[in-house]
Amino acid sequence: MQKLELRDLSAGYGLEEVIHKINLKLTQPSIYVLLGPNGAGKTTLFRAICGILRPFSGHVRLDEFDLFNSKEARRKVAYLSHLNALPEEMTVYNALKYYADIEGGDVEHVIDILSLEDLRDKKFVSLSQGQKKRVSVGKIFLRERDLYLLDEPTSNVDPKISREIRQLLAELSKDKFVLYSSHNLYEAREIGTYLIVIKNGELTYFDKIENVKTKQYRVGIKALNDISRMLPKSRLEKGYYVVTVQNPEEVAEIVDQIVKEGAKIVEIRELDNPLQEFFEER
Amino acid sequence: MKRSTRLSKSYFIIGAITTVYGVVLSNLMTVIPKIIPPDIDTPVPIDLMSSFPLLSIALLSLSAVLFALPVIMLFVYDKNNGVLEYLLSTGLDQLDIFKGYVKASLVLATYLLVFAIILNTAVGALVGTSLTVLVTIAVLTFAIGISEVFLVTVCMVAFSSLQRTPMGANQPLGVIVGIVPMFPALFLPLAFPKYAVLVDLIIAAVTLLASIALLLSISRLIRREKLLP
Repeated sequence: MQKLELRDLSAGYGLEEVIHKINLKLTQPSIYVLLGPNGAGKTTLFRAICGILRPFSGHVRLDEFDLFNSKEARRKVAYLSHLNALPEEMTVYNALKYYADIEGGDVEHVIDILSLEDLRDKKFVSLSQGQKKRVSVGKIFLRERDLYLLDEPTSNVDPKISREIRQLLAELSKDKFVLYSSHNLYEAREIGTYLIVIKNGELTYFDKIENVKTKQYRVGIKALNDISRMLPKSRLEKGYYVVTVQNPEEVAEIVDQIVKEGAKIVEIRELDNPLQEFFEER
Repeated sequence: MKRSTRLSKSYFIIGAITTVYGVVLSNLMTVIPKIIPPDIDTPVPIDLMSSFPLLSIALLSLSAVLFALPVIMLFVYDKNNGVLEYLLSTGLDQLDIFKGYVKASLVLATYLLVFAIILNTAVGALVGTSLTVLVTIAVLTFAIGISEVFLVTVCMVAFSSLQRTPMGANQPLGVIVGIVPMFPALFLPLAFPKYAVLVDLIIAAVTLLASIALLLSISRLIRREKLLP
């Protein structure tokens, strides 16, 4: 796959248009984090991309194929919704096999990469929410696709499994396109290369995450000794001396200065995530 | 099909009980004269020996509908928990999905109908029911049973797809609409015994054609988004 292109894409349900005139062209295999407040249209965008929703106007093209009209193109897309979407009455193995029988794929490979061996013969309905999510994620790895649309794939999953899933996606993104929606801003920053923001159904931002700038940064500095005298403008919050700066480079200067003055620093922490502002009303 | 058998066994039991009742009805007129000798001086307006057993056709067909109901429950269940959404995303379209559920319900219904026909023929042979009556019942039960299950499944799938909240509440409507064409088979054998077989065949043919037409049209009329949870 060379590119995914959304041109003037509007889509929704019934007569209600949820996403409006979205233009987006992805040409680099990578992880694209999709952010937006609840109700912004993230799920609708995913459903329109994978060809479930007929566009009100515009189109979605995977290379030269229209995704709504081409079955063949849709087979190149994996979509993980926020629901588990597995037959709950089956065992984990049989539930995955159910999909493997329909669309092809290797169940043993999925069991192996997601460490599902211990759950293999358990009924899906008897699993915890986190385990269910883990198995649910497994179905998108049954066979290789070109485009992966993942709606909060690590919600309800414990940190260890979250990390494993992120590693799998990072591996995938070397030559595949991964669109990843998340409410976890730290996770989004950690995993994403590009950031796509939608609000009220409209695309409001698309750029590399590293280019995201914020108006100010709050940084917490923890030290073994009292450094309040060295940082007169700081405030003490939960054991951190909090300073506010205009750009990250200032932090290095401040740290250099207070170390020279005798500060015994044990931790420096960014207290706000630059992505936070994309969730706030502008 | 395997999934629906795991989902609910109650409908299979009810279907089996209805089948037994149908078999009893089918052979009743052969057994009764042996227990209560007929009054040969009283004229009988219709030939009950050949027309009354035909009433069992509707009942045996209904048992097939009951037997296949779990497939429709499964459709609603799959819609609600996102399985249909996932299947759509893999490249399947509405018709592929509808056909899958119709096929499963027809296979289930076939199992029951074959069982019902074998049971009825065996019991009939045992009690001495006319071979012509038994063959007629076998052919018409299979024809009406299969076409009814087809229609009920398509109606229920259509109604369940079109309703968003509360999902699945329209299933009974699908059953009612689906079995209405079968109603004439419940009284025509007694009202017009001469035309009963012909009418039953017409019911089967019309129901089958209506089912196919409905399946093809709902696949065009019902958009993919209607299968979303």
